[in-house]
Amino acid sequence: MKILLIEDEPELRKSIKQYLHQEGYLVESAADFIIAQEKTSLYEYDCILVDITLPKGSGLDIVKQLKEASSKAGIIIISAKNSSDDKIIGLDLGADDYLAKPFNLAELNSRIKALFRRRNFNGNKIIVVNEITIVPEERAVKVNGEIVTLTQKEYDLLLFFVSNKNRVLSKNAIAEHLWGDDSDQMDSHDFIYVHLRNLRKKLTEMGCTDYVQTIYGIGYNFKVN
Amino acid sequence: MKLINKTILNYLFISIPLMIVAGIVSYFLIKNELRDGMDETLDRERLNVEKLIESLKEPANTYLGYDSLSYIKVMDKNFEMKDTYSDTGIYITKKKKRELRNYRTLKCTYTFNNANYLITLSRPTIEEEELMDSLFSAFCIIITFFVFSFFIVSWLLSKRLWRPFYNTLSKLGKYDIKNHATTNFQMEKTTEFNQLNIELNKMTDKIHNDFIQQKEFTENASHEMQTPLAVVRANLSILMQSPNLQEPEMNSLEAIENTIKKLTSLNKTLILLAKIENNQYHESAEVNFKEKLESSLDLFSDLIQAKNIKTEIQLDPNVSVKMNPSLADILINNLMQNAIRHNSEGGNIRIALNSKSFTVSNGGEPLSITEKDLFVRFKKNDDSKDSLGLGLSIVKSIVNLYDMEIRYVYSDRYHNFVIYF
Repeated sequence: MKILLIEDEPELRKSIKQYLHQEGYLVESAADFIIAQEKTSLYEYDCILVDITLPKGSGLDIVKQLKEASSKAGIIIISAKNSSDDKIIGLDLGADDYLAKPFNLAELNSRIKALFRRRNFNGNKIIVVNEITIVPEERAVKVNGEIVTLTQKEYDLLLFFVSNKNRVLSKNAIAEHLWGDDSDQMDSHDFIYVHLRNLRKKLTEMGCTDYVQTIYGIGYNFKVN
Repeated sequence: MKLINKTILNYLFISIPLMIVAGIVSYFLIKNELRDGMDETLDRERLNVEKLIESLKEPANTYLGYDSLSYIKVMDKNFEMKDTYSDTGIYITKKKKRELRNYRTLKCTYTFNNANYLITLSRPTIEEEELMDSLFSAFCIIITFFVFSFFIVSWLLSKRLWRPFYNTLSKLGKYDIKNHATTNFQMEKTTEFNQLNIELNKMTDKIHNDFIQQKEFTENASHEMQTPLAVVRANLSILMQSPNLQEPEMNSLEAIENTIKKLTSLNKTLILLAKIENNQYHESAEVNFKEKLESSLDLFSDLIQAKNIKTEIQLDPNVSVKMNPSLADILINNLMQNAIRHNSEGGNIRIALNSKSFTVSNGGEPLSITEKDLFVRFKKNDDSKDSLGLGLSIVKSIVNLYDMEIRYVYSDRYHNFVIYF
């Protein structure tokens, strides 16, 4: 999987690169509009992460150019401008997703994975983690072949864990994933605990290993060997 | 009180005593003048009387004229008297009515042929009194007429002269910094008012520019903060993945993350406020409030259940308001969040919606801050340390944007927030 990261802030570029590298992706980066243009015209990427405000040009123009060249790359816009206008323009131009800064790296990771699943890279649309099978198109979860009925939040939580397996996920990251922008509006940490407890119970009742480790003070880790 | 009226009134206060003084002074002046006239007449008569005495063959007491008030009296040789003029009042009975008649009397002596005479001459002053009365009233009427016509003229004149000032004043009253372009203080012919308008134009231009700059500053600063925040969050995520973290480090990481989260939402909220106030939510649609409320209740259902809060809901299904749909969400969610956050375990929330108003009420203790501060940014009640103190300012901004009205009432141990559409 080859990803191009177009972002002008060096520190952010470095940490995104490092995080995605650990996921096993090949990450290249471009610091400004000219370099980004060069790279997108020379090479093929599976996914392009593009910031809107760039030195020497706009990220939206890159999206436009990619679409004009009928590029197959998935496009995720990452922008400091959390305005619905930019979001609508970006998605209208053909971007697949939009993530407002400051985002959590785990969130970015799960968005990339969702994008790959939708575009059916790797030839499969099913996620298998040992005895757990998830069919995202049907929002179905099976343990040892048997269907487990999960609520919306429990399903989202499991998918988020699986997308970021063997990663420490902070409670804030989980809250933001489950409740989006509205996570600001509630003291959501307690609710994560409630949903997680129910999810664990449902999975272990079906004979599933409890993969979720509590990391003291920070959050949780879905640990799979 | 209007300046014109105040000026006129002040003039009146000063001119009435002046008029009275002028009246009194002129009264005495006229009176003196008339008296002098009378005295001169008496003097002339005295000469006549003296001639009469000289023509007498021998000294005798004689009455002069019709009445008994003017006469010549033969006196002792040693009798001496200075000339005296005096006023005498005498009651006379005329048609059975007693009337006071004033007389001017001259008493003097005259010596002729070794005989000493006392001359007493009296003349009624009734004519002079009548003359005096008519002169004085004419004088009063003229003064009063002048004073009042002066007031009327100056009132009319002031009204005309001050008109530019009142125009400026009414423009100033209507001035809205958000519609700066519509206000212009025009040139005037009066130097002072022209100067005033020029200065006002300068001042409002400056205030407006500062306002624009400050608005842009808030938005730009908040946007510029997003990237550094993203850097911190990203690095924090990476740091969390390191395998050898001990409890103290984890605690620190959690503290940092929570703070960053708070900072992030603060930043987002400030951008939101700036955008509402900069009128960047143009598109609007008919928003069904009942649907929005139901989805909000759904969103907060976890919280409501967790706090064991009972809800009493009365929704009119056909209430629609023309506004931006995202702002409607934000408005409702903020009010709901407020009602939940400041509620106690097992408390109550009442929601009522009808075509005129939308009410969210929650039980609780009275506020420790004033009602006015409730909608001010960063002002919050003592017990709400988790809150940013911005939720209700957002509500207020949205309400203002759509010319709605929000009122807060505390009654019966309930905090009521009512929005009038």
